[in-house]
Amino acid sequence: MKAPARAALTARLLGFGVAIVGAALLAILLLWGLSSSFSASLELFFLGPFRNAWYFGNMLAEASVLVLAGLGAAVAFGSRNFNLGGEGQVYAGAIAAAAILLGLPTASPPLGIGLALLGSALAGAALAWFSGRLKLSLGVDELISSFLASAIFVYLGGFLISGPLQDPSSNFQSTASIAPAFRLARLFPPSNLSTAAFASLFALGLAMFLSKRTRLGFEFGLVGRNAEFARYAGIDTGFYVTAPMALSGALYGLAGAFLLLGTQYKAMKGFTSGIGWSGIAVALVAGNSPSAILPSALLFAYLDTGAKAVMIGSDVTGDIVSVIQATVFFLVTARAADGLFGTRASRLRAGGKKAR
Amino acid sequence: MKDLSVLCGDALGLMTPLLLAAIGGLFTELAGMLNIALEGLITIGAFAAAAAVHAVSASPHFPAAGNGAAAVIALVAGSLAGGMVALGYGIGSQRLKANEFVAGLATNLLATGIVVALADRLLGNKGVVSLAIPGLARPLERTLGNMPFLGELLFRQDILTYASWFLVIVASFVITKSTFGLRLRASGSNPGALATLGRNPKRYRLVAVVLSGLACGLAGAALTVSLSAYVPDMSAGRGWIALVAIYLGGKKAGGVLAACFVFAFAESLSNYAQGVLRVPSDFILALPYAITLAALIGGAAWKRLRGGQIR
Repeated sequence: MKAPARAALTARLLGFGVAIVGAALLAILLLWGLSSSFSASLELFFLGPFRNAWYFGNMLAEASVLVLAGLGAAVAFGSRNFNLGGEGQVYAGAIAAAAILLGLPTASPPLGIGLALLGSALAGAALAWFSGRLKLSLGVDELISSFLASAIFVYLGGFLISGPLQDPSSNFQSTASIAPAFRLARLFPPSNLSTAAFASLFALGLAMFLSKRTRLGFEFGLVGRNAEFARYAGIDTGFYVTAPMALSGALYGLAGAFLLLGTQYKAMKGFTSGIGWSGIAVALVAGNSPSAILPSALLFAYLDTGAKAVMIGSDVTGDIVSVIQATVFFLVTARAADGLFGTRASRLRAGGKKAR
Repeated sequence: MKDLSVLCGDALGLMTPLLLAAIGGLFTELAGMLNIALEGLITIGAFAAAAAVHAVSASPHFPAAGNGAAAVIALVAGSLAGGMVALGYGIGSQRLKANEFVAGLATNLLATGIVVALADRLLGNKGVVSLAIPGLARPLERTLGNMPFLGELLFRQDILTYASWFLVIVASFVITKSTFGLRLRASGSNPGALATLGRNPKRYRLVAVVLSGLACGLAGAALTVSLSAYVPDMSAGRGWIALVAIYLGGKKAGGVLAACFVFAFAESLSNYAQGVLRVPSDFILALPYAITLAALIGGAAWKRLRGGQIR
């Protein structure tokens, strides 16, 4: 391995380590402050995910959805497009898949699932592409417009689920369940782990191949690292605004579809909430590199499953996961680590606009 | 005509939290920061105000509700909490060089997470909590409130609304006339020149962040006080709308005031529509974001039409 590459890897691993240790410390602090039985909830948080097949399988199932969401965020961030609309795009994908499968209850499973995946990818892509297009043609900041478009869709999606798609026989605000033929096979019952995990691994492999071995992936990264240089090199930088945004949205949409097909089987109001932000956290920790997405997704799935174990098994009720996520965001981007470890980590940070 | 004055008068009342947040955000904007943490800071302010009042009214030393003390406690607590969280955000983004935008995102996430985690502990309930905060004084209502048109419009507002207008004037003066304001603007537009003077631009940015936190915390507390209750997700996108109001207002105090009024008027209109037209509540909830997005697109298109520079 060449020296710069080794330095880069060391920097990323250090960033990773700082984020993990920081998040773990904060989790301990929160549990200490919020729980009346500190040691029991601590044990639940850290060991809960490994305690039984149900938690362990659910952790892997969650990681498989986070891989897709993390890839979605990394595709956008890696090319310096800030897609903040993951929440809405995941929701859009899940609702599109539900609508298609509920509309075609008798289709053959491969056709139905294929159409649902296509529809969910298109729904997510359209929502994100819109922001990329606005950036190109009007100069509207895509990070604000994608956030806003997603926030609008979260409410519209809620309306669709509790209105036109509402299951009349249910008291909950949810659609009917999709036909059993469309449900992906469970690998590890009673947990939620399903064959959706293979799709995530496939997407991951494809992303690694595309980014390392193709011209598309090369230009993609070049635009992300130095758009001005890429423009001088004759690369159509406009294409690398709308295309990454659409691809990012499509991956988010697929994350929503697989959550529906593999785990939930029906769309409930707000049921995808948090996956979009988690995807961003996964991509940040992974430094937008596809090869680091899997460990990063596993880390977040572990934290989240631990937090769920605490919520079920102890008196801590709050949303400690988002607090932990926030810490990770902060620690991963804080360049304080540079001074501490003397690495070139800052160059590898998830992109960000320089202070204007 | 009477309906219009009522609608506008309501809008002026609804504008107060938005205006406070936007004026706070104006400082960070001029210091060259994209402060997306406004939303989280409002959330913190609203919660801290509620927690303070809840804690105080549980104590036996607190005289029966009915005086303005509860409101004052709420406003001070909200503002201070917003300022403190903003200080953390500022130190992270300016001193520790965390990516400003991601740190802002983290602040928002932290705010929602910590508020949910603490609500159960401090308010004893994760849902809506009503608080013993009497309505704010409306100092001009008795004398001028019955004037035709203007009475409904201007003179039935509460004291906090007048205070927010006063703050706009003060902020405008500080930004345009004072040395501090000049240097603050330089920290955004020309940090090099400021550094040449021996001033650290980052220090001005840090001050701007804390000011925005104090203002957003106050905005959040204003929400709590105006409802005499704490409602989860109380901010409901106001921080984002404030951010857009700053852009649409051309980063000038007067413009920001006008933009905030437009948003507040839309809110007042949508409240009215909800009562009259029976629109599904999801649409009403989406409306602030939709208006913000429409304003953003419209503003950009307008700039394009007038031959404005491409960013």
